[in-house]
Amino acid sequence: MDWQGQKLAEMLMQLLLVASAVAAFVVGYAMADFQLMLLVYAGGVVLTALVTVPNWPFFNRHPLKWLDAAEADRHPRPQVSAAPSTAGKKKAGKNK
Amino acid sequence: MHSWVQRLLTTATTAALLLLAACCAASALDAFHVPSVQAQAHVTKINRFHKQLNGNDKVTLTFNVSANLESLFTWSTKQVFVFLTAEYENSKNSLNQVSLWDHIIPDKDKANLQVEVKSKYPLIDQGSSLRGKKVQLVLHWHVMPKAGVMIRDRMALSEFNLPDSYTS
Repeated sequence: MDWQGQKLAEMLMQLLLVASAVAAFVVGYAMADFQLMLLVYAGGVVLTALVTVPNWPFFNRHPLKWLDAAEADRHPRPQVSAAPSTAGKKKAGKNK
Repeated sequence: MHSWVQRLLTTATTAALLLLAACCAASALDAFHVPSVQAQAHVTKINRFHKQLNGNDKVTLTFNVSANLESLFTWSTKQVFVFLTAEYENSKNSLNQVSLWDHIIPDKDKANLQVEVKSKYPLIDQGSSLRGKKVQLVLHWHVMPKAGVMIRDRMALSEFNLPDSYTS
């Protein structure tokens, strides 16, 4: 799951759960049946879990674009050629 | 670090929290429910009125209770516990409450009570102050919800006078 997919999964999860809780409460109250509220809500939770828990393909539409391995050879890591004395000078300069 | 286990646990936690919120809301709505209870109780017979060997007055009664408690039931009511007490005042206590009868109503269809009963529990005084005493019958009920706060209420019903002398 990519970064966008994680955000989408989180939003979907919260949205679906709140929606199913509200729907369950309204249905339960309208039909005057507490058990019906629990059943509707349980259904909503299962649906939410099915949508957000597995790593569905639509969570992977924004893959990270890694640089080519050859780029690393072309731009080598800058070598720290610093001797301890120069570092000390820099620090002293800052303190001034 | 965004595995399916993590997503499942987040879903479960949020779901439990919202379930709690729904139960709280159901309980809060019950607070706005105004029941209209109609009830009557009359003592029809005083079966036995005597002094026990330990010096306490004891009365066994027959009474009829008619109570319509259907309006107590809401969508989140699990059951209603109803009981009848005898209440009186004497020199020892400003309020004596003795439970005479109780009943559990499991659902609304059974909430219209018309019963004549011998007192399930005898009226026993702490001492010997019941002769000629005026006693108030009070109906109490506890509305037990499926989730949330229990509601308690009471209603004063008829009064009756105990005889001035023991019957046996």
